[in-house]
Amino acid sequence: MEEKELVLQSIQGNEDAFGLLVNKYKNKVFNMAYGMTHNRETADDLSQEVFIKAYKALPKFKFKSQFGTWLYQITTNHIRDYLRKEGKVKQYSLEEMQELPSPDKNHTHTIEKKHIDKKRKEIVHNAIRSLPEKHRIILVLRDIQGYSYDDIAKILKISPGTVDSRLFRARRSLRKKISPFLNQIGGNHAMP
Amino acid sequence: MRCRKAERLIQRSFDGLLKPNEQKELDAHLLKCPACRKMLSEYNYIFGALREEPLAESKPLFWERLKPHLKETYPFDAWPLWKQWGMRAIPISLLVIIVLAVTALFILPQPNGELSQSAFLLQNQNPFKDSLPLLEADKSDNPNMMLIFTAMDDKSNQRRYFP
Repeated sequence: MEEKELVLQSIQGNEDAFGLLVNKYKNKVFNMAYGMTHNRETADDLSQEVFIKAYKALPKFKFKSQFGTWLYQITTNHIRDYLRKEGKVKQYSLEEMQELPSPDKNHTHTIEKKHIDKKRKEIVHNAIRSLPEKHRIILVLRDIQGYSYDDIAKILKISPGTVDSRLFRARRSLRKKISPFLNQIGGNHAMP
Repeated sequence: MRCRKAERLIQRSFDGLLKPNEQKELDAHLLKCPACRKMLSEYNYIFGALREEPLAESKPLFWERLKPHLKETYPFDAWPLWKQWGMRAIPISLLVIIVLAVTALFILPQPNGELSQSAFLLQNQNPFKDSLPLLEADKSDNPNMMLIFTAMDDKSNQRRYFP
């Protein structure tokens, strides 16, 4: 069944049709929430709330955009609200980052390499979580979820030019947050 | 090329959006700028961590857990709405009241407490309306008053000095 047909049936109250839509989009919505919160429990709660919100708002959906885009708009708005309620953004200090082991060239063992990779991701995610909410959202959409500039513009309802400039500032802020840590561990951080 | 432009080009290179001439320009800049080489290395670290990561999967039985909640109706909670708009509405409404008050002060015609005589005449009103009862009351005394004044005039004539 086509997505439009599923949406129409969901509007008429067919829960099974909505279930198919949920199964199609649940991972993307969950990933978006997980990228923003980096907590599986919170991301799960948020994604459940997003689908409940979407189900209740379905009669207002006028097919002016793709269902996916509309759903991601609800997702980003809901996550934004959550982050605002959560309070101020936590500022991760360099000391907190230093609790993590630095990548050592002598670590050739696979397990240790995996461990270092995991820690590297934690450093970057901690730094992302310390960014302002609008920078965090755009980084998650582009660099974790991999959406195109045009899709991000539609989801966030901003122009592609704004996406470009905001993404540039967000990435630069992220680099500046991580830079002191990388200076301390030294070495070349080329992509593996 | 300035380092800020180089940074923009480095970011675009990770998006695969760099044109061949821009790539050449960036490569030439990187050769002579150690700060930008360091910047590139930092971006390598960041994008490496972000883009390697496999997408996480939602927790099991997602739909089964969600379905019972779809028909739940939630009581209307006004607090979030108030928190979002009410707090903003207070200063805005105060400002509106002040603006309206100031506008009213300057635009609306002021009621004139004391009308001029000509204004009374224009309105076809007697300007001495308030004092009329007093004047009417004095009318009965007028003959007596006239006698008194006449008598006074006579006395004054008698006392007049004629050398």
